Amino acid sequence: MRKNKGILVFARNNSQIDYIKQAVFLARRAKKHLGLPTTIVTDCVDFLKTEQTDWEEIFDQVIELVQNEENKIDTNTFVLPKEQLSQKKFYDGSLTPKNLYWKNQSRALAYEISPYYETLVLDTDIIISNQNWLNCFDYNSDLLLYRESFELADIDRGEDLKRVSDTSIDFYWATVIFFRKTQENKTFFNLVQHIQENWQHYNNIFQINSPYFRNDYAFSIAIHIMNGYQSGNFAKSPPGTLYFASDKCILWEITEDSVLVLLEKPLYTGEFTPLRLKNANFHFMNKFSLNRCLDEI
Amino acid sequence: MDERLKKALDLSNYMVTFNNQKRVIKEKYRESSIFYYNGSQFTLTKDLITFVSFLVDKDNVNNVILTDDNEIPTEIEKLDEFLIDILDAYFNAVNAYYAEYQKLLKNRSTSKLAEYEEE
Repeated sequence: MRKNKGILVFARNNSQIDYIKQAVFLARRAKKHLGLPTTIVTDCVDFLKTEQTDWEEIFDQVIELVQNEENKIDTNTFVLPKEQLSQKKFYDGSLTPKNLYWKNQSRALAYEISPYYETLVLDTDIIISNQNWLNCFDYNSDLLLYRESFELADIDRGEDLKRVSDTSIDFYWATVIFFRKTQENKTFFNLVQHIQENWQHYNNIFQINSPYFRNDYAFSIAIHIMNGYQSGNFAKSPPGTLYFASDKCILWEITEDSVLVLLEKPLYTGEFTPLRLKNANFHFMNKFSLNRCLDEI
Repeated sequence: MDERLKKALDLSNYMVTFNNQKRVIKEKYRESSIFYYNGSQFTLTKDLITFVSFLVDKDNVNNVILTDDNEIPTEIEKLDEFLIDILDAYFNAVNAYYAEYQKLLKNRSTSKLAEYEEE
């Protein structure tokens, strides 16, 4: 394989959240700040082509996810693993919860799907504002995932986001994944697929007790296993800081080099204080608020 | 609302915003104090700079091995050039941190802290 590099983004809309819109924004920022092409993986190709008439300029490749083998039309079509779609509470600030389907069970296919030798897999709800992630491609390590992150709101989450549960293993974010196509990483991604297929078992064994499948947990478990069922350095951390804000916060403004976020005060539901974040790569979980800002750009 | 309470609450909002902005610029400083060299990562501490400077002073400049943040041994071909680069990166980071911090101290309202002008 040619040693090319690029970004892979999964965008699967549900009834209220337009992930395609976020992916388009991400691809544009990736081109601007990182100079990298983006491949989108989606199950709503028709919607993409209707909504974004310039999709060929935005995306390097469009890869379609289909439900059945008979729908596979070309090499850029992949069959989804059998999914048990679950509903999750998505917040638009603390006071507005919405129960929606969470279609998150395709990320384990990243290795198989990616057209690149070196791939940076990103969530759609990331705002790229600097060049830090370019350093991933120079790293000596073949697999990079964040273990630590920086929450904009000063909230003491205890062991949450450090361990997958109080009595269990180290937590890794599947929000940003850098990998090279090596034999070890192929084994790793196959293991993630296995964990996903047997989620109930692993959910119990690692005492996660999550009501739904979550990629962060599946990747954390796979790293733990690849480390020989202990903490280790099979996956190292990507360069730079992963800043994030939960879906209880509101995104107010996106500019060329900064974002203005309204952070909910801990213990005071519905009360906010503003914060300006400049030149940082930012994971913003309130999808509704993000899409409202994107509409204004 | 009692004027005294209103003023106290305004100040409280200002303080929360000030502290959050301070946390963020401190993290930005930490983030920009990392130097990448040939696939390795070095945090620009005073220890590192002093040690490298000491080696250069002792004429150890060619093909010197240092361990990076992940304890991976890395060969530095020209340590004197490496020193110039890390000093440059260090002062860029610390100067930017200083400038941002001074700006924070001067902004005496919540909206100015967040650099937001209401239309």
